[in-house]
Amino acid sequence: MERKRRRSIFAVGLCAVAVVAVIILGVVLSGNVVYYRTVTEAVDSRGAQGDSRLRIAGAVVPGSVTETKKGVDFDITDGKTTVNVVHQGDPPELFKADAPVVCEGAWGGGKNFDSDRIMIRHGNEYQPPKVDTDKAPSIS
Amino acid sequence: MILFKPAVRRALGWATIVALIALALFGLWGAPPDSIQGDAQRLMYLHVPTAWVAYLAFMVTAVASALWLWPRTRAMVWDRVAGASAEIGVLFTALTLILGSLWGRPVWGVWWAWDARLVTTAVLFFLYVGYLALRRVPAAPDARAKRSAIAALIAFADVPIVHFSVEWWRTLHQQASVFDPSLKANITGVMALTLWLGALAFTLLYVYLLDRRYRLAALEENMEEHELATAIAERQAGAGTPGPATMSRSINPELSQ
Repeated sequence: MERKRRRSIFAVGLCAVAVVAVIILGVVLSGNVVYYRTVTEAVDSRGAQGDSRLRIAGAVVPGSVTETKKGVDFDITDGKTTVNVVHQGDPPELFKADAPVVCEGAWGGGKNFDSDRIMIRHGNEYQPPKVDTDKAPSIS
Repeated sequence: MILFKPAVRRALGWATIVALIALALFGLWGAPPDSIQGDAQRLMYLHVPTAWVAYLAFMVTAVASALWLWPRTRAMVWDRVAGASAEIGVLFTALTLILGSLWGRPVWGVWWAWDARLVTTAVLFFLYVGYLALRRVPAAPDARAKRSAIAALIAFADVPIVHFSVEWWRTLHQQASVFDPSLKANITGVMALTLWLGALAFTLLYVYLLDRRYRLAALEENMEEHELATAIAERQAGAGTPGPATMSRSINPELSQ
């Protein structure tokens, strides 16, 4: 009996693990495979989107960032299309002009995108900080 | 019963310690901080090597499983290597997920994202936890080795999916820096050196752990055989009916561990 019980516990454990794996896979396949849309894609599909949530990726347009009472207001662009983002909450540490960001939220009433989550989508290039040659004292 | 001679194993152990100390020194002080991410980027020197070891461990499990399934090379050594390597692989997949999460928080701004790279890695973790559970299901050694080997080959299908997920789908996770398909140098100088040092240190650690785990598996099997032999001898010596304790011990290998 002891042996049979152990065996069934293992079988149940295996099934549980398999179910978890399938659920996670399901989440991936249900639209999350594309983690974000470009600004152009998001603007084009705006009519069909309605109030549902989406993620938009783009670069923060320099000079467009203004702090508001609830968060921050800025423009993001993919080079072709630019959209205004109204964000509620604190932006992440690496948020600044030209930073590649992914904003999560929904289209607002006006032309802007209401975001409540900003993620920085950094690249795969790494390098030491450059010495600012304009400000550094010249040697010669 | 052992993978390496004791002298080789000791040398490997010392080489691992030296490499890990060198990695700590280079990772924390030798390498410059990243121009954008600052010091947070230093987590790369742990995150990338642990991910590499996870891939390597599952690759070894797959190859060993194939060698067990192939009749000409079938030997219990391959079953033991497959099991030992998968266990290390699960450990390093967990480390990769944890270190990645710690890196993601300061840089991305979130601990976790449901993007393809992160989710396929989590699936990889659960697949091999399932594989380890399957290995624990009591069965005759040959039957267990066979079903484990088949499961290992199926589970390995996720490894290339994890690796290429950042190329196939849009993810929050960045693309590969070292094995970049365009062969562009995305990381250079001391930073690249530190990354390679990390890969070396963790590969040495993997080989050392594999040897130790293999030895443990062999000793466990020995003990089971020994206890089985003792139980049979006891039964033959005593003319009466065997006690229930002796019965269950000799039948169920789980109880004798």
